[in-house]
Amino acid sequence: MVSRRNFLAGSSAITAGVAAASVSRVAMAALPEPAVAPGTATQPPLAPPNGRPYRPVLTLNGWTAPWRMKDGVKEFHLVAEPVVREMAPGFTAHLWGYNGQSPGPTIEVVEGDRVRIFLTNKLPEPTTIHWHGQRLPSGMDGVAGLTQPAVPPGQTWVYEFVARRPGTFMYHPHADEMVQMAMGMMGFWVTHPKGRHPWIQEVDRDVCFLLNSYDIEPGSATPKVMTMLDFNLWSWNSRLYPGIDPIVARQGDKVRLRVGNLTMTNHPIHIHGHEFFVTGTDGGPTPPASRWPEVTVDVAVGQMRQMEFVADEVGDWAFHCHKSHHTMNAMGHDVPTMIGVDHRGLVDKINRLVPDYMLMGERGMADMSEMAGMPLPANTAPMMTGTGPFGSIDMGGMFTVLKVRPDQAPGDSRDPGWWRHPPGTVARPWTGAAPEPGAAPGSAPAAAPGAAQAPQPAAQPGVEVRVRKPQGGHGGH
Amino acid sequence: MSRDTAPKRSPRPGRLRLLALLAPLLLAACAAPSGPAGFAPVAEQVQARTGLRPVWPRTPADEAAAEARSAELLAQPLGLDQALALSLLKHRGLQARFEELGLAQAELLQATRLPNPSLSIGRFRQGEETEIELRLGFDLLRLALAPWLRPLAEAEFAARQQTLAAELLAHLAGVRQAWIEAVAAQERLHYRRQIREAAEAGAELARRMAEVGNFNALRRAREQAFYAEATLRLAQAEQAAQARREALIRAIGLWGSDTAFRLPERLPPLPAQPAERPDIEQQAMASRLDLQAARQAVSQAAARLGLTRPTRWVNVLEVGFERELPDEGPNRRGTELRFELPLFDSGQARLAQAEARHRIALQQAAQLAIEARSEVREAYGAYRHAHDIAVLHQAELLPLAQRIVDEQLLRYNGMLVGVFELLADARAQVAAVEAAMEARRAYWQAEAALAQALIGRPAVLPVLTESPSAVPAAAAGGH
Repeated sequence: MVSRRNFLAGSSAITAGVAAASVSRVAMAALPEPAVAPGTATQPPLAPPNGRPYRPVLTLNGWTAPWRMKDGVKEFHLVAEPVVREMAPGFTAHLWGYNGQSPGPTIEVVEGDRVRIFLTNKLPEPTTIHWHGQRLPSGMDGVAGLTQPAVPPGQTWVYEFVARRPGTFMYHPHADEMVQMAMGMMGFWVTHPKGRHPWIQEVDRDVCFLLNSYDIEPGSATPKVMTMLDFNLWSWNSRLYPGIDPIVARQGDKVRLRVGNLTMTNHPIHIHGHEFFVTGTDGGPTPPASRWPEVTVDVAVGQMRQMEFVADEVGDWAFHCHKSHHTMNAMGHDVPTMIGVDHRGLVDKINRLVPDYMLMGERGMADMSEMAGMPLPANTAPMMTGTGPFGSIDMGGMFTVLKVRPDQAPGDSRDPGWWRHPPGTVARPWTGAAPEPGAAPGSAPAAAPGAAQAPQPAAQPGVEVRVRKPQGGHGGH
Repeated sequence: MSRDTAPKRSPRPGRLRLLALLAPLLLAACAAPSGPAGFAPVAEQVQARTGLRPVWPRTPADEAAAEARSAELLAQPLGLDQALALSLLKHRGLQARFEELGLAQAELLQATRLPNPSLSIGRFRQGEETEIELRLGFDLLRLALAPWLRPLAEAEFAARQQTLAAELLAHLAGVRQAWIEAVAAQERLHYRRQIREAAEAGAELARRMAEVGNFNALRRAREQAFYAEATLRLAQAEQAAQARREALIRAIGLWGSDTAFRLPERLPPLPAQPAERPDIEQQAMASRLDLQAARQAVSQAAARLGLTRPTRWVNVLEVGFERELPDEGPNRRGTELRFELPLFDSGQARLAQAEARHRIALQQAAQLAIEARSEVREAYGAYRHAHDIAVLHQAELLPLAQRIVDEQLLRYNGMLVGVFELLADARAQVAAVEAAMEARRAYWQAEAALAQALIGRPAVLPVLTESPSAVPAAAAGGH
């Protein structure tokens, strides 16, 4: 783990311009040193060096905060501060986060742990932290004005409570919440069960990520915090595909995915090649009798979902939000549909006004990914991108690949590369003669052998499909 | 000043020797400049201020040369210098003014020549007596005053020359203005043709969008509206270009096949730096023809005043030689001198008039100088601002508009905006381009006005007012 001092020595330039409040060194001296994010790559699970043992989670494109034990209390130190987050290669956002990154580090504790969290506010405005889903004293719930005064800039406050129930949680501010969450203030929290829990299975891989969304105009870097619904960047842990790491499993691994939704809309999270059970919600593990298999689970706003499956199908499997716009990066939501429009003779004329204009969208939007390399505004992620072994994937945003391999080392989450399909297991072009269309049984009497050919209604015009508009009652549309 | 000699007795022929004595004087008067010689100072004045020498073709050879030069000028695109030179050759009004100068020169000759002596012969009968009377009269006063009168007449002619030079310069200024307007109008016309083509593409695209069901009538109509407007603006530009061209044709004085000249495609580029003219007031004082004319009017009034002083009481002085040849008796001969007695009119009134005229001329010249200083300051200020504004358009506003289109194109590449938003910003850029063209036109007009202000009273300078925004508003996003 990189210490804050080292980090600041090397790359203070990144945050110097945005770090707002200064914090007294004396005040910081007695606190656990706040660790700083090691980068944007997925960090290996942090094996607990002390305290009760547990199997740690893997935070997609993130990391777990280290702690120190003091008199039997796990002490964490979160620093709320402006950060610079690379959301995709070539696209960097100016966000607010914790300890150098957004989302902040995942906090992992064990059921029954006494936890003390120091919050240092280096934002330009007051903040708090709300521990989403936790059972705790009301005064530790972190709602500014309701349960505590907001933490002013430059001050360090402390939260302390016992992690009473195991499960999947989040943390986020509850002061100027709209702005601070739109700016990326959030983090994951996992409370592992103390010992065996009848409803919580042991898994081989435990992967967590938060759903978040931003409205960052292409070419700019700071989210538009007033946007309510029309976000243009849909991310997992503030990363956009292809900036999101794959989820990797060894064939036969039991995999748990933990997903929390801090966007302003729901996300049907969908897996290919497998079906999963929802084994936990915000409320904790679900009773096994309540579970049913699914390939898509809707994660509503402010909810957590815990999905489990056995990764028994080898290969590369898409894993994504099923709202198709959410598997896109920045795009214009008011761009007219150009499909089917004849452009002959027009491009030259438009070129007189706009010399570099090129025709796009005449056949659909896949032009976009085919035209990779066309100049875009300075700081943005192409609308759809991502290239697979067979070409453009036409995907962005909330999308990644589940990679199941027979030979992946246990616990190894490094990208094994593209799946090498066994011969005959990939869709291929048909090279034989076009098959005769088979008639549905009973739809037409088969001509009796030897009988005269039935006369064909040769002159009959083709069937015309007419869509009839609903009549009346729609005046308000 | 001249008075007819009263019929007296004729002088003896022997006395005609006096006439012979006067003859060289009369011939000397004949040697005064004639024909285009009086035109040369005018041509020099114009050349000194514009670099162009007006020509006054007086012979078929001259005319042929002028015609050949015109044809040569018309063969190439008609730049400003060519247009000016051509108008000096072609403008019939100017040629008429040249002829008028010839007329004035003839008048000068008349004025500077000594009056002819008058010779009269009378034959009278009185009963049987016949009397032949010979009389030779001579306006002695005019002869005596010749040293004063000739400079006055010459000054008057010089004033006419100067007037003509001023007219020529004003005419050239008019040609310059007309040329700037004609080229600017033509440039705008060409640009609007391009715009209309692009607008047509947008409208056509919208039509095809609607045809395949991707656009509704509202959006299609919106795109077509721009096309209609572009067509309208093209028609306006066509009319303006035609009117400006005709104005230039009139200013140069062309007709027939000569009107088929080509103009340059655009106005010259702006000079990088405006001319620094710290001593422009002094320069105007020295070079303005109207001030020179005023100063000459003052000295002329002074000269007249100087003449009036010694002559105010010598109203008429006449000398006559007489010879009487009676039928009988000896011939009678004698000389007669006559002048008015300044008893009742001692010339005070004329002196007062001359003094008043002198003072009027002085005051008018001073007032003109004061106004000229202000006018030239205003013209220079207008020129500097026109330059600053044109540079701002060219170096800031136009590149910004281009930048907006470029950035919008990047957004189009990213499918962040559609082609119609791209076209909308391009249209906004059109406004910026037109505004920049207009600023360049205004600069060249201001430059011409400044040049004119250094020659004479300038045309009314336009006061620059705020123009409509040349910067496109932020395109509406897709929200």
